[in-house]
Amino acid sequence: MATELQTRPEAPAPAPAGPPPRPRPGWPTTLALLVAIGGAVGFVVAYVVDASTQWLGGTMALVFLGLGVALGYWGRDLSDDERPETDRYPLPPEPRPEEHEELAAALHGDVEVITRRRFLSKLLIGTAAVAGLSQLALIFSLGPKSRGLRHTAWRPGSRLVTADGVPVSRSRLTPGSFVVAFPDGHTDSADSQIVLLHLPTVTPLPGRESWSPQGFFAYSRVCTHAGCAVAQYQDEALVLLCPCHQSQFDLKQGCKVIGGPAARALPQLPLALDGADNLMAQSDFGVPVGPGFWNLYA
Amino acid sequence: MPDDRLLRALSRSFRLPRDRYRRLARWLDDTTAGDSLIRKELRHIFPDHWSFFLGEIALYCFIILIATGVFLAFFFTPSSQPVVYQGSYAPLHGTVVSGAYDSVLHISFDVRAGLVIRQVHHWAALIFAMALAIHLFRMFFTGAYRRPRRLNWLVGLTMLQLVLLNGVFGYSLPDDLLSGTGLRIAYSITESIPLIGPNLASLLFGGGFPSSTLIARVYPVHIFLIPGAIAGLLGLHLGVLWIQRHTQYRGPARTDVTVVGTPLIPAYALRTTGFLLLIAGALTAMGGLLQINPVWLYGPYRPTDSMTMAQPDWYTGWLEGAVRLMPSWDVHIGFFELPALFWPAVVLPGVLFTFLLAWPWLDAAVTGDTGLHNVLQTGRDRPGRSAVGVAFIAFVLTLLVAGGDDVFAVVFRWHLPTVVAIFRALVIAVPLLTGALAYVFFRRRQSAVAV
Repeated sequence: MATELQTRPEAPAPAPAGPPPRPRPGWPTTLALLVAIGGAVGFVVAYVVDASTQWLGGTMALVFLGLGVALGYWGRDLSDDERPETDRYPLPPEPRPEEHEELAAALHGDVEVITRRRFLSKLLIGTAAVAGLSQLALIFSLGPKSRGLRHTAWRPGSRLVTADGVPVSRSRLTPGSFVVAFPDGHTDSADSQIVLLHLPTVTPLPGRESWSPQGFFAYSRVCTHAGCAVAQYQDEALVLLCPCHQSQFDLKQGCKVIGGPAARALPQLPLALDGADNLMAQSDFGVPVGPGFWNLYA
Repeated sequence: MPDDRLLRALSRSFRLPRDRYRRLARWLDDTTAGDSLIRKELRHIFPDHWSFFLGEIALYCFIILIATGVFLAFFFTPSSQPVVYQGSYAPLHGTVVSGAYDSVLHISFDVRAGLVIRQVHHWAALIFAMALAIHLFRMFFTGAYRRPRRLNWLVGLTMLQLVLLNGVFGYSLPDDLLSGTGLRIAYSITESIPLIGPNLASLLFGGGFPSSTLIARVYPVHIFLIPGAIAGLLGLHLGVLWIQRHTQYRGPARTDVTVVGTPLIPAYALRTTGFLLLIAGALTAMGGLLQINPVWLYGPYRPTDSMTMAQPDWYTGWLEGAVRLMPSWDVHIGFFELPALFWPAVVLPGVLFTFLLAWPWLDAAVTGDTGLHNVLQTGRDRPGRSAVGVAFIAFVLTLLVAGGDDVFAVVFRWHLPTVVAIFRALVIAVPLLTGALAYVFFRRRQSAVAV
């Protein structure tokens, strides 16, 4: 549709009187090209002698920068010679009804050939839709479905072990100290990680008196906001802090949120002491651990 | 046979033996049968302005990302399987890490020039996103989104979203502590979507978090699916641009039906190739001299670890800030739960991008201007629009800065809740204030010009 290109001088009337344009000096281009050659040689040398990242990147940059500057200078010299003006596609100030009509007629005519058999054309569209949708089933190969957001690897009687699999004994924890623990045999279960604290001065929440024998409290270590590990412990304030978005959980109030964007308390794991010195879980967490989802309370 | 005009067009460009052009011209016409088209397009006119290079920066970053990305793909192992690190970075010797992390350390320390290429790739991604963002607002402030460029506005915005998404995925692949934490948060964000969230997260990320196929899931999306989509959209974007010719600023002989500028051959081709090389030079210099994402210092991702003072790459920093500033508004009706994370991480970017996508139509509805425009406006032509744009940028930048609230708290020894409260106020006040100032400023310039 574009019209034939016409090249015209940019400023038609006032041709600048004066001496003819003198040729620009070629030395910046030459110099830049020499820099590029130097960079290229330098890069190969740096590569061969296994020089540092700085030398490799620096010499590589000289190659590109030298060439780039050279082409830039050259292009500038050329573009100063002419500044043509051309027509765009014939752009109408108003919509072009006739041409739209022609396009519509062409589209209509071509589609008419297909749609003349109304039943077949409808069947074709329907089949295309069904065929396309049926292939969406492949999405479900992507899975597998999560083994459940509502359960972790904790079972009644699961022994608490450290990340290295060493059983956590009561005597390991002095008052005020903590350890990260997992259910025995599931040290790779990210959802099951807990922080075990010895807080003999803290009163358990009503209804949870039997969950913290001898002042040993265990809380899920997966932040209820975005799932990061709640990795910081302020032992004076008795607060757990998530370093990702600074949610704060108060250990004196059952890890209730006292600051930051999290909304839900960290779930508490009911603990028991076995006959010996070791800690174990009474059961799984009563509520899902980690961030919220739409049917969390279902 | 090509006629003499093609020969003239070619030989005007470079003073090489005419016979060589004759052969080139014959070959071109024989292979494409497009003599007249080629002849015309060799003289395609590109208007001159520095701001038209922003899109080119983005384009060339994409090319450099593909070149460096192919190099990295030769060595990267998309595996979450544990291996014992045996490479030459002594501090991590003997540590159990994932195959992905192991291969990134291998690229960084044991592949010759591997670290340069890795760092160029990362810098190119950061500059890519930045060039796109500035390009977007150049379009906005100059009214370049008006007809006939609405399609290209939509295509460009879609590419921007894909680039941001692919940046996140690329950042996730090394499986270091920062990237694993980022993926964990991305998983939680996906989970927060009502009705489909938990299943969607499980489908996309291969089960519960962290699944054994996590890295293998992200990898083909990062290197194939999204780059392929970007390449396709880029072709469309440039094709439309080519047919329409580029917009131009007001000036002598510049009207809606003409275009004044530099012809493709030779000056523009030289200039833009030189520009590609300058960008490549700047990025390789950065890749060699400026350290970026030293994953060996962060250590491998373990779900039991998280880092203090961790910041994402800048282009997701505004989301990080929004997530940090958002009050803990869980909506809890019966068994239905809408997690607090949903608002800043899903709704906010959805609203912002919908606003941008709809802008050409909003603008036309407000101004009643649905005409075709090839000559650009400037800020003072539309003070109201300029104010909206400035406020939008101020909002996003304030969120970006708020993403470092913990750093502010540590550096200035302020109480963290105080910092959060200040930023909550700023994120409302700064856009309003800067928007108002921009309005007054451009209004005054408008009347100054009118007088």
